[in-house]
Amino acid sequence: MESTILLIPFILSFFILVMPTGMRYFYTLGVAVFLILVTSVPATEALLHPANAPRSFIAGGSLGSITFTVDSLTAFFILITNFTVLTGLLYSNGYLSSYRTTKTPAQFALHYFSYVWLHISMLCVLMLREGTAFLIAWELMAVSSFMLILFEAEKRTTLKTAVNYLIQMHVGLVLLIIGFLLVEAATGQFGFDGLQSYFAGYANAPLFFLFFAGFAVKAGFIPFHTWLPEAHPAAPSHVSGVMSGVMIKMGIFGVVRVLTFVQYDAYIVGIIIMILATLTGLYGIMMSIVQTDLKKLLAYSTIENVGIIGMGIGLGTIGIGSDNPALTILGFGGGLFHVLNHSLFKSLLFYCAGSVYKATHTRNIDLLGGLIHKMPRTASLFLFGSMAICALPPLNGFISEILIYYGLFAGMQVNSVFQTMSMLLTIMSLALIGGLALFGFSKAFGLAFLGLPRSEIHVDDNAVSHGMLFPKLLIASIILFTGLAPMFLLAPLLGMIGSQFHLDSGQVILPLIHVLSKISLTGVILILVVFAILILRRKVLKPEKVSHGPTWGCGYTAGNARQQYTATSFSANFAELANPVIAKQIEYTDIHEEEILPGGRTFEVKHEDVFNRTLNKITGYSMLVLKKIARLQTGNIQHYIMYAFIFILIIFVLLYLNVL
Amino acid sequence: MGFLLAIVTALFFPGIILRVKSIASGRKGPGIMQPWKNILVLIRKESVFSTTTSYISRIAPAVYLSTVICALLLLPFPGMPSWLGFDGDFVLFAYLLALGKFLFILGALDTGSSFEGMGANREALYSMLAEPAFFILFGTLALLTGQTSMDQIFGSFQFSGHNSFIIGFIAVYLLVQIAMIENSRMPVDDPKTHLELTMIHEVMILDHSGFDLALIHVGTALKFAMYGLLIANFLIPVDAGQVLMNNEYLTINIGSGIKNYIGKEWMAVIQIGIYFFVQIIFAAMIGVLESFRARKKLVRNPQFIVTLSSIAVVAFILVLLITFKMIG
Amino acid sequence: MNVLLIIIFAITLIYLSMTERFPIYAGLIGFQGALLFVLSFIELHAITPVTLIFVALETLVFKVIIVPFLLFRIISKTGEARVHDKAMPGFYSLLFVTLGLLLSIVVSFSMNTSPANMIYFIVAFFAVYTGLFMIISHKKIFSHLVGFLVIENAVLLLSLAIGSEMPMLINIGILLDIFVSVLILGIFVMRLKQSAHELTMLKDD
Repeated sequence: MESTILLIPFILSFFILVMPTGMRYFYTLGVAVFLILVTSVPATEALLHPANAPRSFIAGGSLGSITFTVDSLTAFFILITNFTVLTGLLYSNGYLSSYRTTKTPAQFALHYFSYVWLHISMLCVLMLREGTAFLIAWELMAVSSFMLILFEAEKRTTLKTAVNYLIQMHVGLVLLIIGFLLVEAATGQFGFDGLQSYFAGYANAPLFFLFFAGFAVKAGFIPFHTWLPEAHPAAPSHVSGVMSGVMIKMGIFGVVRVLTFVQYDAYIVGIIIMILATLTGLYGIMMSIVQTDLKKLLAYSTIENVGIIGMGIGLGTIGIGSDNPALTILGFGGGLFHVLNHSLFKSLLFYCAGSVYKATHTRNIDLLGGLIHKMPRTASLFLFGSMAICALPPLNGFISEILIYYGLFAGMQVNSVFQTMSMLLTIMSLALIGGLALFGFSKAFGLAFLGLPRSEIHVDDNAVSHGMLFPKLLIASIILFTGLAPMFLLAPLLGMIGSQFHLDSGQVILPLIHVLSKISLTGVILILVVFAILILRRKVLKPEKVSHGPTWGCGYTAGNARQQYTATSFSANFAELANPVIAKQIEYTDIHEEEILPGGRTFEVKHEDVFNRTLNKITGYSMLVLKKIARLQTGNIQHYIMYAFIFILIIFVLLYLNVL
Repeated sequence: MGFLLAIVTALFFPGIILRVKSIASGRKGPGIMQPWKNILVLIRKESVFSTTTSYISRIAPAVYLSTVICALLLLPFPGMPSWLGFDGDFVLFAYLLALGKFLFILGALDTGSSFEGMGANREALYSMLAEPAFFILFGTLALLTGQTSMDQIFGSFQFSGHNSFIIGFIAVYLLVQIAMIENSRMPVDDPKTHLELTMIHEVMILDHSGFDLALIHVGTALKFAMYGLLIANFLIPVDAGQVLMNNEYLTINIGSGIKNYIGKEWMAVIQIGIYFFVQIIFAAMIGVLESFRARKKLVRNPQFIVTLSSIAVVAFILVLLITFKMIG
Repeated sequence: MNVLLIIIFAITLIYLSMTERFPIYAGLIGFQGALLFVLSFIELHAITPVTLIFVALETLVFKVIIVPFLLFRIISKTGEARVHDKAMPGFYSLLFVTLGLLLSIVVSFSMNTSPANMIYFIVAFFAVYTGLFMIISHKKIFSHLVGFLVIENAVLLLSLAIGSEMPMLINIGILLDIFVSVLILGIFVMRLKQSAHELTMLKDD
């Protein structure tokens, strides 16, 4: 019976296209909530009892059947997906309200329809095991997110970015298809279930890396990440939040799913994943620091966090390979917990950035400033999200990072010099990533929200409605709860990892509870001490002792708002140190000596993604070659008949020579 | 216990630095308690807030001070377990201090002045570069002793082999340098400069006044005492029976030797005495270093800070060899 | 005790790669020579006393006294005191030097070195790497000279490690010392006196 309930939302979603405008949003919300309820119930049950066999729902009848399987790993991702999709939908009502005058109802209908189908396809990716169905769901996910990005398709850059995104997703899809075909050729089963028998008999590493490449395009590991920093700013903010928060994680899900089947070579696979993830993390945060577009900064920060997740996953795989259960559980635990945390705080940050865009119509940090006075709640929530993403205690980002640190320390105490050294290098990189994230987010928050406005941007005070505020507050409260009481969410997660990798998680969970309770205690003490000092301060600073005036700045009052630090100048000293990695380009025509009265000049500093540049070079060369070949397409039908004749001639000659 | 000792130390630490610097310049210098008298005056003074600032400037000093206090609660004193110690607590220690710095930087950017932006920018870069050195150092210590909580690391550190004293010296040197960088002292930042273009820490607090400025000064003094406590942990002899033992290198056993000679109560007194001695020497050394050393060119500062990471890697090599039983 | 000396040697190498002034280079080379002198006493107790006295005296005389003296003479004669025109800024050279430290660990561990010699090998490879890197990344001839001296110190350090088994190796190392200090430095001092600027910069500058 439950299987047919799963199919109902699929059918209901088509009615979104025909709903009247007033009711459309609430109908979409209803469909989404229905789908969430239907999938969350078996998911929660599977997560809380990971030792049970996975639940299967078979839907269909005379035309064939589809099997939806919910096991504990799926359940974890289902719950994360449902929550972020819900908050995105709640946020979108207020965000899209300013587009009601410029977009037709049909475009809105298509947008909401694609949103629900993104949700459905993500859930299907999580629940489907059979190869064809999985690949179809994967493709649906790409297509529906493509439609969502194209909400503002009248802009040329958006169109180009969306097409770029679609092509890259298809490259990933092709890699996955090849992987599944190889499995089918060897074992006869087309799907994840065939992996079990494949990995038992054949070399694990090559096929794993094929799958990893396919999933890495979605997840955003370098060098497959080039679509990410373009697509997220181009999409509307609620879509960016959902894409960055959960769609990326579908790639992580795929990697972990394949890892549950890997039996040999796990050690070398883990080392390579960890190296790649460390490089991803470092590159992501370095590029994030030098951006001036607020959403592009957040997009590169997503790449950094995917790197951190990958570090945890690589660590867990090393644990599988070296038969170290503590390492496995801590590594995967840290990585997957960071999946949850990242979906929370990144969606919060994207929603706040969306509110900023809605109020000011610009994403350029160099034009913003002083928004904390006009938009205090958005600013506070952005600060909250920034503190969480920099892994500052007592919030949840710290918990997932310290789990990864625990795994790294446990991994150092082994008898292999190579492993000890690589663990230390990873610890150093993780510390460096943390420091860089602090730099980047103090820049993002400090320059966009604090200080004086850097330009004459008009800030619309009524831009952020209560509807937009509610989902952000919901996410913020869960962030705080997870930070102060992580064991509620962590215990089922660790149990899930234990059951997926056939380990006993009890021996790791018990000392972990003790440690995490001390961390929470420190967090609570911190909050109490802050309040105590603030209360003391309130008592001491009686109103007659407080006065206000302009910024003193050591007596320098000649400057105006334009002389504050801008995004480019704040990151300039870092950019100088990291120049080979971030490829600074300056567009400026020098003033020649002969120019006695020089004309106006413009100066532009850009940081280009080096991978994008390489990719552009490769596609540029292939375009040149293809253009030459395209000369064969003359449009003249006589030429085409001649081609057919030449082909028949060649076949004839080859037959004559006994080749064919 | 360490917490109380640190508070006591914080009372005279800035005073000793100031006095040493004055004596080195040929003056008599203010009294040891003068900085705290200044703080009391500041508490009673009126506060001026800039109209550009928001609530961030109001809460930043309070959060800065609370993070220092909470970080202090994590530190052990040799021979006695810390109040909140747990496995991996030095990670929490580092990130708590990072939280304080984060809000401090935001408080500086809040004022909308380009001077404070300059200070915020530099402070963010230098603290970011100093993080890996701290983590490599503690990762190395964790590898050496097989423990990950600070009180167990320091407890079993002195028993980890003949050559652990070399690691101790390198660790003390690195921690002194990190302390100087974090507290914005020479050679990274000159606290006595009056040129705003060359300031890092001083320029960030230009628009704080009255009670907030008092909170910041208290936080700075406590931070000095905190790093002094961390350094003292390496140098105080520990009795083997007081801490958990996990490896077999019970060769350097000065601590047990002293305890067997003079008894348990006197042992604690000697440890406290050595602690205060170390703190006073540390403060005096800072004063001397500041008087006789010039501030490095600002563009050379990143290089200097990364040097600390390189030296930490040298310590790591040594520990690697010790762990794999290549040296004793 | 020897571990302590070798660690101090490694730290002087890091300092050498980050500093910018020629007098400090000369002082550090002298300090390294002093370290090697003390180390030779500790390590080479297995060979005959006569050879030991010869080695120690040679190290003392050449490395600690003559070479720094000649270096300071060059500095005062040419008036060059700073390292200008480095091919890459100091930050990157420090990163490369740290990379070299890690590479020398990896190389030493993958060879079949005996555990007692491991630390000598690591620091000696690191010193060779640093010396080569100094030669590659600097443009002035004085820096190239210092780089070569660092490589020479590395050779002596390595020969101290295995010197108990092969005393002839140490003698060869010492001959290298004498060759360098007498021939090259003497030539430089003579030539530099005549044409002060021709030899201090590379031709393609």
